[in-house]
Amino acid sequence: MDVVWGKQLSSFAVGDVLAILEKQRDIAYTTVMTTVTRLYEKGILERERDGKRYLYSPKLSREEFLQSTAREVLDEAVGGHQAMAMLAEKVSEASAGELDDLEALIQKRREELDA
Amino acid sequence: MIEATFPLLGTAFVVLIVLPAFALLAKAGLVMLERDEVGGPLHGLNLRYVLLTGSSALPVAWLLSAGLHQAETGKSALACLLDHDTAELCFEPGFFALMLAGAILASSIGVIRRHRGVRASSSDAARTLLQRVARITSSDPVLAGLGDRVVVTDDDGFALGTHGLLKPRVFVGTAFAERLSDEMLASALGHEAEHVRALDPLRYLILQLALAVNPFGRFLLEPHAARWQAAREAHCDREAVILGAAPLPLADAIVRAARPGAREVVALGARDTAVLKFRIGMLLAFSERAPARCCHQGPSAFPVAFVLLLIALLLPHQTGTAALDVLHTGAEHALTYFWR
Repeated sequence: MDVVWGKQLSSFAVGDVLAILEKQRDIAYTTVMTTVTRLYEKGILERERDGKRYLYSPKLSREEFLQSTAREVLDEAVGGHQAMAMLAEKVSEASAGELDDLEALIQKRREELDA
Repeated sequence: MIEATFPLLGTAFVVLIVLPAFALLAKAGLVMLERDEVGGPLHGLNLRYVLLTGSSALPVAWLLSAGLHQAETGKSALACLLDHDTAELCFEPGFFALMLAGAILASSIGVIRRHRGVRASSSDAARTLLQRVARITSSDPVLAGLGDRVVVTDDDGFALGTHGLLKPRVFVGTAFAERLSDEMLASALGHEAEHVRALDPLRYLILQLALAVNPFGRFLLEPHAARWQAAREAHCDREAVILGAAPLPLADAIVRAARPGAREVVALGARDTAVLKFRIGMLLAFSERAPARCCHQGPSAFPVAFVLLLIALLLPHQTGTAALDVLHTGAEHALTYFWR
């Protein structure tokens, strides 16, 4: 979905996503097809037949998707830690790897937008 | 048993029964609001806040007012101030008010301590940062109003945050600011500007006090309070972007602020990384499509809460203190029965 949203693909075939992902890493057509089919089955994508293939399109924007899944995310924010009005609350050192991933994600988006 | 014991009974009644019952009712309302699909987690922030704080504030306000009113003669405590002949009748409400104020103060000391401000600095590094902030805020019409509200500190245990209850100010740590580009700092100030505009430090303090005075009901509300606060932070991100902050630099600044420095104390567990991911995800989405103002916040929540608070304060003086009176006489009858 990151590829679909990032590249703003409004209508795409499995091959379109494969072409983008192949530039980043080795990946099999069947892997992409399985993932896209699962996203369709979960209701995140919708599809219509186009000859022998399916054309997929996202049902939700990234923001709408985040909104729809946010309750589960925020459900984890329990414990009553009440910090003051801070930009961000410090997280444990155990999460340093996750912070690295987030920084990499932001950088990737920046490069996509620049491109 | 002395008469002075009965006010304690009234306090126990409110703390052990009324406050937890109100917390339960508030929880029911919060669960319903949080389930609302429209607008997602940013929906009804004001209404949720009023439920979180009002469930404690209303019973405590009523108890305080009723206690002051409940002299044996049924006269208002005002009589104690105006008519010295009734001085012997004033012991009970006076003692009660003292006990209640003491209990509230004791339960609030920890909360108030956490809200102490950060010391401003005047070192060379601080002056340089202040000039940098002035340059950034003066070139941005949205941040221009924040210009005289920014304070810098050399405390390297502090990154960036808003302090001050009635006149909030944004404190920026020099060490943290060095790790940010101008664009990141401008976006971060945009986020804090929303905290300043909405008097969030005061809101957070009242929320914490409301939980602190409800020791037996707070466990019902704490998860909702944490969710409200996480949603409030996400709301400030959204408002900052709507008003012109760049989403990706803001996301970068948030991730950098989340990394504890050498002297910084780790405050939250890994679970809250989920909230951080949610906020970063939202900002990535905003970089693709500019956000619009969303979500019904409950605009009438604060006026209604104010009216209810006024009613809670005035009710004992208009209709009497029946609940406390019943408790008082009931306890007297019970004691007479058991001690005869």
